[in-house]
Amino acid sequence: MTTENTHSHDETHDDHHDHAPSGFLNRWLFTTNHKDIGTLYLVFSLLMFFIGGSMAMVIRAELFMPGLQLVEPDFFNQMTTMHALIMVFGAVMPAWVGFANWMIPMMVGAPDMALPRMNNWSFWILPFAFTMLLSTLFMDSGGPAAGWTLYPPLSLQGGQSFAFVVFAIHMMGISSIMGSINVIATILNMRAPGMTLLKMPLFVWTWLITAFLLIAVMPVLAGAVTMLLTDHFFGTSFFNAAGGGDPVMFQHIFWFFGHPEVYIMILPAFGVVSEIIPTFARKPLFGYTAMVYATASIAFLSFIVWAHHMFTVGMPLTGELFFMYATMLIAVPTGVKVFNWVSTMWRGSMTFETPMLFAIAFVVLFTIGGLSGLMLAIAAVDLQYHDTYFVVAHFHYVLVPGAVFALMAGTYYWLPKWTGHMYSEKWGKIHFWISAISVNILFFPQHYLGLAGMPRRIPDYSTQFADFNMISSIGGFIFGASQLIFVGVIVHCVYKSKQKATGQVWEGAKGLEWTLSSPPPYHSFNTPPPINASTIAHAGEAH
Amino acid sequence: MNIENRDDINTRRSRAVKTAWLLGLVAAMIFVAFVLSGVLGH
Repeated sequence: MTTENTHSHDETHDDHHDHAPSGFLNRWLFTTNHKDIGTLYLVFSLLMFFIGGSMAMVIRAELFMPGLQLVEPDFFNQMTTMHALIMVFGAVMPAWVGFANWMIPMMVGAPDMALPRMNNWSFWILPFAFTMLLSTLFMDSGGPAAGWTLYPPLSLQGGQSFAFVVFAIHMMGISSIMGSINVIATILNMRAPGMTLLKMPLFVWTWLITAFLLIAVMPVLAGAVTMLLTDHFFGTSFFNAAGGGDPVMFQHIFWFFGHPEVYIMILPAFGVVSEIIPTFARKPLFGYTAMVYATASIAFLSFIVWAHHMFTVGMPLTGELFFMYATMLIAVPTGVKVFNWVSTMWRGSMTFETPMLFAIAFVVLFTIGGLSGLMLAIAAVDLQYHDTYFVVAHFHYVLVPGAVFALMAGTYYWLPKWTGHMYSEKWGKIHFWISAISVNILFFPQHYLGLAGMPRRIPDYSTQFADFNMISSIGGFIFGASQLIFVGVIVHCVYKSKQKATGQVWEGAKGLEWTLSSPPPYHSFNTPPPINASTIAHAGEAH
Repeated sequence: MNIENRDDINTRRSRAVKTAWLLGLVAAMIFVAFVLSGVLGH
C-alpha cells in the first residue's frame, strides 16, 4: 500500500519516544496521551454498560410476570431512573468520547488532542461523578426514582440524596463540556496541513457537530437541575406551582437539552457507520458532502423539536402543529443518510465481517426506531402513545440497535488497530447474531404492549400484557448474557490473540489512521502526514 | 520533530487554547442565561 511510507516515516521519528510512562499511576492517572485517555473512557463506559445493564435485568425480571415478585415498587422506580442515567451519561456518551479520543487525532493527522491536560481532567471527573450517583442507592432516602427526566414535582419529593444526584449531573456535564471543547479545539486547530474540513472523515465531522450540540445544551441541563436543587433545598419556587412557579417550564427546559441529547448519542454512530460501510463495500462513501450537510441539518432541527416530548401538557394548537411538522422534517436528512449508506453498498464488493454486520443491522434497526419516532411525532396520535411502552420500544430501537450497535461495530472495526491483534471473527459473529436476534425479541413486543396501552415505568401490570412481557424479558436476558461474549472477545483480542493485525487491517480501509502501524506508536503524527488521495478516507468524493 | 514543525504545533496549540476559552465562555453564558431567565421570569 502506498501509505506504508507514511507509517515507516512516522515510526522512525517516534521510535525513541514511543513508550508509555512507567508505573501504573503515571500511565493511567496522570496520562495526557489521547490513546490512553481513549482507553480509559472505553473501559469505564463498558463497566457502566454492565452496571446499567444489570439494572435493566432487574427491571425485566420484575416484569417477567404480572404481580410484584422481586423488588419493592420504589426500588423498581430507582432502577428505571438509574438505568437511564447510567446508560446515557455513563455508557453511551463516554464511549463516544473514548472513540473521539482514540480516533480524531489519528484521523486528522494531529499528534494529540489540543488540550491534553484538560483531557485528563475530563475523564477523571467521571468515576467520581458516577460513584456519587450510585452511592445514592445506599442512602436512607434511596436513589432518584422520578425517571431520568427528573420532572418536578415528583423529583422534588425525594430525600436528601437528591443533592448528590444533582452534583453528579453537574460533574458529568462539566466533563462533557470539557471533552467537547477539546474535540472542537483539536479539529479546528490541529489538523495536518492539507486536511481541509471537507476532506475530514465523516466520523470527525459528526463529532465536530456533536461537540457543538454538547456545548449548547449541557449548560441548559445544568441550569435546570440547579433550579431543581434550589427548589428542593433553598425554598425557591422555580418549578413549584404553590410558590408561583411552573412545573411545565421544567419540561420545556429539560427537553431543550434532552432532544439534542438524543442526537449527541446518535450522530457519532452515523459517523462510525459511514466509515465502516465504505470499507467493507470497497467503495467510496456515496454523497460525502450530502452526509455532512445532513448531519448539520439534523443538529439544527434538534433544537426546534423539543416539545414533541410533551404534547400532552396542553399547548396551543399552533405549537403542536409547529413541533409536529418540525419533527417530521428530521426524516428528510435522516432519509438522505440511509439512502447514502444503501447506495454505498449498492454494487459494492461487499464482505460481511463483524463490524459490517453490526453496521448493516444498525441501518435496518435504527430505521425502525426512526419510523416509530415519526408515528410519535403525530401530535393527535401521540395522545394515545404518550408514556406507554411504545415510547420505550421507540427510543430503545434508536439507542440499542442504534447507538450501542454502532459502538460495537466501531469497537470491532478499530480493535485490531488499537491492540495490534485480530479479534476472533467466529466469536464476533456469534456475538452479533445472538445480539441482533435477542434485541428484537426484547424490544419489538414492547411496540404491541404500548399500542395496547401498557404504561411505562410501572413494576406491575394487567394480566392482558403478560405474554409480550414474558417474551420481552426472555429476549432481555439473552441480550444481556450475550454481551459477556463481547467482553470475552475483547479480552481475548487484547491478551491472547496470536494473529497480528497489519497497519491497514481491512482490505478496503482508507484514511490516515490506517497508515499507522497496529498498534499505533504511543505518540503518532508528531510530524504531520502528507494529505493526498491515498491518505484521505473518502477520496472518491472529497478531493 | 524538527524545529519548524514544533513552532507550527506551538502556534496551533496556542490558537486551540483561545478556541477553548471562547467555547468555555459560551457554555458559561448559556448556563447563566438559563438560570437568570428563571430568576427574572419568576
